[in-house]
Amino acid sequence: MTRLFDNYDALPERFFDEVISRDGKPRVHYEKMMRRFTQLAPDDIRARRELVNIFFRNQGITFTVYGVDEGIERIFPFDLIPRIIPSPEWKTIESGLIQRITALNEFLSDIYHSQKILKDRVVPPDLVLGSKHFRREFVGVTPPLGVYIHVTGSDIIRDLSGRYLVLEDNLRTPSGVSYMLQNRQAMKKAFPVLFDRYKVQPVDSYPQQLLRTLQEISPTPKQDPKVVVLTPGIYNSAYFEHSFLAQQMGVQLTEGRDLVVNNNKVYTRTTRGLQRVDVIYRRVDDDFIDPLVFRTDSKLGVAGLINAYRKGNVALANAIGTGVADDKVIYSFVPDIIRYYLGEEPIIDNVETWLASNPKHLKHILENLDTLVVKAANESGGYGMLVGPESTAAEREKFAELIVANPRNYIAQPTISLSRHPSFFNDNEIAACHIDLRPYVLYGKSPSIVPGGLTRVALKRGSLVVNSSQGGGSKDTWVIDI
Amino acid sequence: MLSRVAESLFWMSRYFERAESTARFLDVNFNLMLDLNSITSVDHPNYWKPLIMVMSNPEHFNAHYQEYNVQTVTDYLVFNRQNSSSILSSISMARENARSIIESISSEMWEQVNNVYHFLQSVSPQQVHTDPYSFYKEIKNASHLFQGITDNTFSRNEGWDFVQIGKYLERADNAARLIDVKYHMLMPKRGQHLDLVKDSVDIIQWMAVLKSCSALEAFRKVYLSKIDPDNILRFLILDRTFPRSITFSICAAQEALWRISGSSLHRYVNNVDRLIGKTDAELSYTTVEDIYQKGVHEFLEEIEQGLIRIGEQLHLLYFAYHTPKIEPLDVSEALPFTGIAGGRANWSQSQQQQQQ
Repeated sequence: MTRLFDNYDALPERFFDEVISRDGKPRVHYEKMMRRFTQLAPDDIRARRELVNIFFRNQGITFTVYGVDEGIERIFPFDLIPRIIPSPEWKTIESGLIQRITALNEFLSDIYHSQKILKDRVVPPDLVLGSKHFRREFVGVTPPLGVYIHVTGSDIIRDLSGRYLVLEDNLRTPSGVSYMLQNRQAMKKAFPVLFDRYKVQPVDSYPQQLLRTLQEISPTPKQDPKVVVLTPGIYNSAYFEHSFLAQQMGVQLTEGRDLVVNNNKVYTRTTRGLQRVDVIYRRVDDDFIDPLVFRTDSKLGVAGLINAYRKGNVALANAIGTGVADDKVIYSFVPDIIRYYLGEEPIIDNVETWLASNPKHLKHILENLDTLVVKAANESGGYGMLVGPESTAAEREKFAELIVANPRNYIAQPTISLSRHPSFFNDNEIAACHIDLRPYVLYGKSPSIVPGGLTRVALKRGSLVVNSSQGGGSKDTWVIDI
Repeated sequence: MLSRVAESLFWMSRYFERAESTARFLDVNFNLMLDLNSITSVDHPNYWKPLIMVMSNPEHFNAHYQEYNVQTVTDYLVFNRQNSSSILSSISMARENARSIIESISSEMWEQVNNVYHFLQSVSPQQVHTDPYSFYKEIKNASHLFQGITDNTFSRNEGWDFVQIGKYLERADNAARLIDVKYHMLMPKRGQHLDLVKDSVDIIQWMAVLKSCSALEAFRKVYLSKIDPDNILRFLILDRTFPRSITFSICAAQEALWRISGSSLHRYVNNVDRLIGKTDAELSYTTVEDIYQKGVHEFLEEIEQGLIRIGEQLHLLYFAYHTPKIEPLDVSEALPFTGIAGGRANWSQSQQQQQQ
């Protein structure tokens, strides 16, 4: 019988492998895991996979794929082999992200008030003020506790040397945390013994911590501030997550039509009349949230919500206008932003980034389209990007035109060899697949992170794109004490 | 409870009941067809048109089909998505409503709605034509199972009461329409009743009416085998113990409404309770002779109108809550009978938001 890892090809000279080190031996923190998986026969694996699939199906854990006539619900593919992060590495990630989020919050507060950083020319003003996510309506408005980004999920990758780098910040409405929680449930069911042998730090308190964060930002101090989740509705791709989080926190899941603003106060419409709302965890984008202020054709929002917010009668998480700081162009300035506000060197670095709006960079981008990854500044979910080495000449030509026509909207990064991790292709074959990591930072009175996150894995052979909408899957992420 | 959640619970239940009623009518008509085959031509439009009159409207039907026969009527009432009260449409709507409140209902309820939906997707018209009995039985059982699961897994709070209201208002409405149409067919001349219905074809037809309400056995226990229209009207309209009679349904809906509002006998606190109390009083103090005097059709029409007004007031009171400063919606604008259907329009927008 061939053993599970016998044909595993780590290619350590081309990629950082999470499990196998350069000398071909498993890393210490993966030894127990490898031993356990090697003991399992294909039938055992199949049985466990079946268990996990049934769990996901019964929970209704699905996401919706766009671009099809009617929304199609799919189960988010889940890989049985967990990703393991030893606590010293986790400490770096944790402190690095807290540093980053703290600085980004300072940045938001600054650009919506005195704009010192722009006057000091650390960040070019036109890039901020010209961003489509900059909301001039909010200049001078201070959200409760001065916090803008209550829930964030930054994507972290590892380069060839194993260094952790931030690939992108998601400061608007990051999704995926429900998978982090459900993956953990699934792994506990499928591998109770293995789970027990590692001292895995728990993530289950996330919903309670989220609720506490939301209650902390209530504009009026109360015993029990009323929190609701605002969803765009059942046709949104992350609807399952919205309903899951509402249910886990024990708060109401509302749609725009459930809320009404009267006299600048927000209420839910209930069978017993109107009930005051203090905090809204909104999963509706800025553009759609209030037809009186932003897109007038929005049916998903609440008319008058923004005025109530400006009056300080309701708190929104995240605040309006945070997208300006997770713009991929602003991203390239984050290390400077950290130095500017905190006087510290970034603990986690950025990926090297060229801005098409900078003439020198633009030249470099156009000359190296075949090796770079080009991204549209404001798109997310893996849409609107060109992966140089995998592209055709025609695609490169099309992108070159797009970039020249609108340089502000494009950035380029080297094609990074994301780290790889063994994952199942089928019940008795594993292969090295690229992964990233999205930990979730909560920020109320102070920033905190539950130990873990969503590890996304590119299950298409050779693919570098890990987004769920592009054929990616996920793994449970174990932060362990050693 | 959020008004939207209450509304979805109400419509989820109501659409399920509607699918069941449609299945019952069709099932019974098939049986009737077999019984009457030797006496008269069963593919006669007269046997199929009334179904359309009860469940939908003939104009809409005529826009899609040339004639009334087994095939066209079955197709229209089971599979046609353009017909908002076809079994397929009803179950789809029940599911859409359930899906939008998935965090508020029990997972067993959701599974059952989902099961029926997927069952319907797998059935072909051919299967229904070759074995109508099994198909309709499946739908009826699915509805019973759903209500049973709800009774056993869903907390007895306001939400459960809205489920009851949806079920019983729909049932009362369907019963009224069924009796109205059948009476119209079997008793064309007003004022002449009772003795005239001797014809065996009519007896069989009246038995079919009872059967479609699952009422034949219960009826026999009360009236033995005296199948005459008097007793049948008395039973289907006025009986207080049979769970598919109009009076029973109205009482059950009223009890649920009282639990929500705190009203009690003679003390109503809102318009819904007042209207349903009025209908209940009307039924409670009416005899079959009174019904004849008023005219069966007129009497039933009044009940149906009452039910519509109750539905409107229910909508205004619980589902379309407004502050005094915000103008009340015009009833016709408030889309009282669509449930989540309006949500469909939001689909394109909710998907425009990209996942981050």
